[in-house]
Amino acid sequence: MFDALWRRFPIVLMARRNLTRARTRSALAIAAIVIGVVAIATLGIAGVAFKDAQFETLGSIGSDLQVFAGEDNDEGYLTDADIREIERATSGADLVPLKQRNADLAVGRSDGGVTVYGVENPRELYTVRDGSIPGNWRRGALVGATLADRYGLEPGNKLELDGETYRVAAVLEDEGQAAVASPNEAVVLPATAFESEGYAQVVVRSDNVDQANESAMAIRDAFNGREQQISVFERGEVSEQIDQAFAQVNLFLVGLGAISLVVAGVSIANVMLMSAIERREEIGVLRAVGYERSDVLRIMLTEATLLGVVGAFVGVLVSLGLGLVINNALLGDPLAFTTEGLRYALLGFVFGVAASALGGLYPAWKASRQRPVEALRG
Amino acid sequence: MSSNSPTDATDTTDAVKTASASSKAAGADARVIDGTNVVKEYQTGAETVRALKGLDFHIDRGEFVSIVGPSGSGKSTLLNILGLLDIPTSGTVLVDGNDVSALSETAATRLRKRVIGFVFQSFYLIPTLTARENVEVPRLLDRKPKETTARATDLLERVGLGDRLDHYPNELSGGQKQRVAIARSLINDPQIVLADEPTGNLDRETGDQILDEFDRITDEGVAVVTVTHDDYVSEFADRTVELVDGRLSDV
Repeated sequence: MFDALWRRFPIVLMARRNLTRARTRSALAIAAIVIGVVAIATLGIAGVAFKDAQFETLGSIGSDLQVFAGEDNDEGYLTDADIREIERATSGADLVPLKQRNADLAVGRSDGGVTVYGVENPRELYTVRDGSIPGNWRRGALVGATLADRYGLEPGNKLELDGETYRVAAVLEDEGQAAVASPNEAVVLPATAFESEGYAQVVVRSDNVDQANESAMAIRDAFNGREQQISVFERGEVSEQIDQAFAQVNLFLVGLGAISLVVAGVSIANVMLMSAIERREEIGVLRAVGYERSDVLRIMLTEATLLGVVGAFVGVLVSLGLGLVINNALLGDPLAFTTEGLRYALLGFVFGVAASALGGLYPAWKASRQRPVEALRG
Repeated sequence: MSSNSPTDATDTTDAVKTASASSKAAGADARVIDGTNVVKEYQTGAETVRALKGLDFHIDRGEFVSIVGPSGSGKSTLLNILGLLDIPTSGTVLVDGNDVSALSETAATRLRKRVIGFVFQSFYLIPTLTARENVEVPRLLDRKPKETTARATDLLERVGLGDRLDHYPNELSGGQKQRVAIARSLINDPQIVLADEPTGNLDRETGDQILDEFDRITDEGVAVVTVTHDDYVSEFADRTVELVDGRLSDV
């Protein structure tokens, strides 16, 4: 049955037979393509997995705005009036004003420095892991996940900040290093527990980068004339820059992989040239019995492409296998393939086949130009 | 003479020899190949070598012509020109009524496929293909696998290799290989088979079988031209011409 199928594509039949004639040579040529495809696909998949792993620890950067006092702001902090101004400028976006100071933390006999945030409504920024935030929050501290783990703090425990004692009301969820006012290493207190005036920053919640950018410009317009009263930090912009940086790193990695495919293409050209020289007489016979130049060209090109298809196929399989290992190592889940990562496998396949076909072009052309008289002279 | 339309077919002594003679048999034109004042020159460095010095020749349907001559007499050059693999420097060669000098590469290839079959001294079978596939090769790209296979099988049976269809060349003896090559030369119903030293690599007995085979082909209206320096082949030929130093003479 297979035979009947092959006969429908006589050129493929001949090409396949020719390739199996010099098995080792064909296998080596295929190996070159495999290596090239694996280089592209695996580096691509690894790059994507690395990026995902980084974002897993960073957490979501989001597109919120952070507003701080500017360098020309004499107060050095944002006042209630400033917050009202921001509210006006952003026409009612969700604002979370934050106070901030550093304090000495003591839990039992251990102590250390810690960041303390003062927030009026912590639910807008944080999620609770253990315990709960009291309805009318006046006393009690919220402790970041890392800090809680380090000091073994649980809801109900006591801690001292600069000598003042607080009871732990809740332990917060791990928010990732890049979270707004990252609570992991911090203690969060009610804003009323701060004696100082004003706020260190105001977080302007925002759903997307465009909206955030609009708000940022409105805020800058409202405050900053010649003097920089406030500074606005656009998290969405940073997030885009990081994405871009990762994309560039990946492009570079895949570019390195592409070089090895170019080398593979050259090796295909070499193999096909040798094969054409070895089969000089045979090609002469084909021409003598009525094969046209284009037929010879097609046969040789098919051979090169066949090498590429087999090599690329094996290469993609190997890459997916390596992808399992990489995903497991970086993301803890072997099957954590993403569309973005798999796209590199496809890219590797296409490049592999294309490199082979290109490599076969010149030898095929050369073989087809050969005059049968000369080929048959012996 | 220039007509090659089948509707012009009238009775000719050669064409009526057998019913399977080429349908292209063209009326008064019994000649498959007709050469006039054929000259072939080669450039080797600054020197011009005249391999053929103005030959007049013709090959008729169904005749067995043996071209003999010493090495370097221009035999292979002549065979290449007869086989549309080369064109003369001057003079006219008509193959089935077509002036070979006027043909494009593609047209020459197509004419060659239709009119001419080749048998080579060293067989030139493709080692990765079976006997039957080797016979099919000239038609392999025609995309009529069933008909091609049937015809190849038939041809191999006729040369006595019906039991060797699926053998590879390295499983065949020299004589069997040459018979496969003859079957291959016939797959496209040629009007002429050109054989370059067809018995050169074979012992006498096997050579006889091959020559008998040629004899049978000519009975079917296919002309056979052999080039050889083996005088023995000439005993089987209808006509022997000698090529010496680029000039032809009847023997």
